[in-house]
Amino acid sequence: MGKSFFKTRVVTLLAALLLCGIAGAVNAEDELDCLLCHKYRGLSRIDENGKFRLFYINEAIFKEGPHVRIKCADCHQDIKKIPHDPAKKVECTTECHLIEPSGQKNFSHKPVSDLLAKSVHGKLDADGKPKKDQQDYPGCKDCHEEPLYRPLSFFKGKSSGVSERGLARCQTCHRTGDFAESFYKHVTSRLRKMRDPKEIVGICAKCHGDKEFQQRHKLDDVVTSYKETYHYKALLFGSQETPDCTDCHVVKGEGVHFIESKKSPTSASNKKNVPTTCRTSECHEKAGEKLAGYQVHVTYDKDKYPLQHYMLVFFTWLTAGVLYFFLTLIFLELLRRLFPHYSFVKPTGDDHHSSR
Amino acid sequence: MSMPKYKKICERNGKRYFFRFSLHQRLQHVVVFTTVITLSLTGFPLKYHDKAWAEPLINFMGGINVAPVLHHIAGSILLGLFVYHTIYWIYLFYTRRVLPLKRAGDLTLGNVGREFLNQPMIPNKKDFYDLIDMFRYLLYFTNRPPRYDRMSWKEKFDYYAPYWGIPVLGPAGFILWWRDEFTHFLPGIVLNALYIMHTDEALLAALFIFFVHWYNVHYAPEKFPLGTVFITGYLSEDDMIHEHYAEYVKVMTEQGLQDEIKPQH
Repeated sequence: MGKSFFKTRVVTLLAALLLCGIAGAVNAEDELDCLLCHKYRGLSRIDENGKFRLFYINEAIFKEGPHVRIKCADCHQDIKKIPHDPAKKVECTTECHLIEPSGQKNFSHKPVSDLLAKSVHGKLDADGKPKKDQQDYPGCKDCHEEPLYRPLSFFKGKSSGVSERGLARCQTCHRTGDFAESFYKHVTSRLRKMRDPKEIVGICAKCHGDKEFQQRHKLDDVVTSYKETYHYKALLFGSQETPDCTDCHVVKGEGVHFIESKKSPTSASNKKNVPTTCRTSECHEKAGEKLAGYQVHVTYDKDKYPLQHYMLVFFTWLTAGVLYFFLTLIFLELLRRLFPHYSFVKPTGDDHHSSR
Repeated sequence: MSMPKYKKICERNGKRYFFRFSLHQRLQHVVVFTTVITLSLTGFPLKYHDKAWAEPLINFMGGINVAPVLHHIAGSILLGLFVYHTIYWIYLFYTRRVLPLKRAGDLTLGNVGREFLNQPMIPNKKDFYDLIDMFRYLLYFTNRPPRYDRMSWKEKFDYYAPYWGIPVLGPAGFILWWRDEFTHFLPGIVLNALYIMHTDEALLAALFIFFVHWYNVHYAPEKFPLGTVFITGYLSEDDMIHEHYAEYVKVMTEQGLQDEIKPQH
């Protein structure tokens, strides 16, 4: 398929498909028959910025996702008719038509967004003024995407999805409709790890690992220093037990979106709160309060971390000194074997004169 | 502790072999090298986590949930051996040197000190001259190789390396392992220092063993691919002449074989 095909306007394609009268299997929530077109794998185009955009919706995956009970138009509220104009980006704080069961109100991700706004990652400062370098403060979709958009290979070989046996327990009482199934998904998807911890480190490193970003905000290279800890090394080799960024930077009892600056007195990384943070129930529960004195984000900077700097210098010289001395000996010894008959002294016929 | 008697010279197939290490000493060495190899294989993948070999190696050692357990077990055994060995030589020194002095009524601090300094493992003046002789020989200022005693200065260095390395590495590893308990009285920053001590000293130890110690006992042209004294406890006559000529002459003379002493080569 040539690139020119993708450049064809989506509207034209839609019209053509409609004319052909192809009717897809229609989703119950798909009021506007969106899947009629979006079920086709090739549905894509190159946008004004030259970026390749894929508009394909894999229905099988979508049905397993957290948004299955929401109508397409609940999020894509600017689409009122088919064929539609290029759609706006989805705003996660929009109220959808799903009634949230505990409060009988329309559901929205707004509480999460409010929490984020209060956190160190919020776009406004305490006085409500926009912070400098607005583009560096993340919105919802800088860290999350609809699972739908993850590569298909992500699902291969993983035992993810709905546990039939788990669901059966819900269905013992909740027999009507798909209530049990959708709430099972609702609850368990929040209990599971949303991401692999390595992926979380990667997400934070998107900004915090960027040298220019660090300079703009006068921050240390916390990603590199974290990667020197056992915490990261164990994660890297597949452990699920050691902490990623969010485990230590969120105060007990708060959601992960409420990461505060260490200067804030309520922050998990504030000096006076670190003992509590390290000693949460799943981590260093029995540790002494002094564990908090352990420096996690260490660099070998002479002024900031003199102890580490001078220890490194000492061990580097010790290692180099010992090894260079002995490797030189080995080299000379091999040389002596290779050229055994050369000598600086005239042969006297008695090489065994000294007797120590 | 009753020591088995070993013949100073043992003949096999018309060749002479010279006694070096008792079974008890060889077994201690087996414990040292098995634990050190285990510690290296389970430890270095973490130090060099970003290298391509790190993940396959740690998976080979049982993965991230098993390898640290092996590391702790091997470390505990090695620390235990260190303590055992220290008690072992103090006991030997006491029964073989101090008690005879006591029986003879010569037990003074000076005499005990002198006996201690005369122990074959203690560095002495001869080691210093041997070192000079060795450099003169290696730099072609003489054609006479150094004539080492029962223990050469290199072997003494090999012996004292763990005596520095284990006290630096072992307790550091132990405290990092039991960090939750130790931080009730140790400040957290001590862990930072111990972490550097543990991994950097480990690197020095591993590099020294791999390049220097193994060159001396396995890679050197006349030993390659494997020196066997760590298994048999006996060294061949050729190796004895090459590495311990002074001791060779002494033992041959003691055994009444002075006429058969071969020249140094």
